[in-house]
Amino acid sequence: MNEKDLENDKLEHLLRRAHIPEPSPLLKERITTEARKAWNQTSLELPWQIPLRRLAASAAAAVFIISIANFSSNHALKKWRPGDVRATREQLPDLETLPEMPYRPFVRHLVSVNRRPSVTNASALRNYVERVRQILKETQQNGASNEQVPDGGRSRLLPAQLSPDSYS
Amino acid sequence: MNRIQDNILDENQPDNMLRAALGRNSPAAVELMWDRYANDLLTFLQAMLCSRHDAEDVLQTVFVRIARKRHRLARARCLDAYVYRIARNEASRLISSRKREQIAKLRTESWLMVTENKQELSDLVEQLQAALAHLPQPQREVIVLKIYRQKTFLEISRLLGLSQNTVASRYRYGMEKLRNLLGNLT
Repeated sequence: MNEKDLENDKLEHLLRRAHIPEPSPLLKERITTEARKAWNQTSLELPWQIPLRRLAASAAAAVFIISIANFSSNHALKKWRPGDVRATREQLPDLETLPEMPYRPFVRHLVSVNRRPSVTNASALRNYVERVRQILKETQQNGASNEQVPDGGRSRLLPAQLSPDSYS
Repeated sequence: MNRIQDNILDENQPDNMLRAALGRNSPAAVELMWDRYANDLLTFLQAMLCSRHDAEDVLQTVFVRIARKRHRLARARCLDAYVYRIARNEASRLISSRKREQIAKLRTESWLMVTENKQELSDLVEQLQAALAHLPQPQREVIVLKIYRQKTFLEISRLLGLSQNTVASRYRYGMEKLRNLLGNLT
């Protein structure tokens, strides 16, 4: 046993000269009476009842919120008169009447493209396919493995001039 | 081997009795709880609060709370740890409410008693009480339970939900501080 343990023993001995009194019978009476009262006031909750009760509370809250929302929407509809509603239509601006603006021709082109229905131009597509087929045929006939690209490096597959109406 | 099993059964017997009473929803469980916990809990609460009066009030709150939430106690894995946790929470609530209300805590109220009615012992107890009040609360809890309730480190660790090493080190550090505080007495 080292010195520290001896000192601890002395200190423990010193501390044990005092004591903490036990609870008095009066205190026991007071506390057990209160506890019994609390016991009788609260019924025993069975474990399976707890989720059921939570579910019921959630359902009640949902019903309450929905009824509040219904009430408020009914209240709002009372103020609404159908006669006040007018059909409106978005009018495209007349470009001619607009004041001078930069890139005016470009804007006009964009507007015209936007107005055009998106229908595929079948004849233009057919022409393009036909042209591709013809080029391939020529290539096969001439043994085109070492043939140079004509027209100064530009591919023949590309149309000479792409017009906005070509494919759409 | 049989002796070990018997000991385990003996240890679990009060638990089983209490659980059975709780399961039957019998108010007799209050008496069982009192016999089992009141003494130790009151000591523990006095160690936390340094006041007998506050400790008694909190003990009442603890018993009422247990009676209300008895189904949880019946399902608790370790009854002792559960009860001590409630006691600790209630005491902490009281301490924090005191801090919020900025009520100066009176440490002059005596919660340690003398074994003999001698003046010199009364002075000693006052000094002991003052020294214990200066300790950090976790160290004070362990020292009080060990010295005044004769609990082992293992028992304290189970009650407070701590490891045995933590309890032992709290005790060691606490005793060291007490030695410094009571230097002239030891």
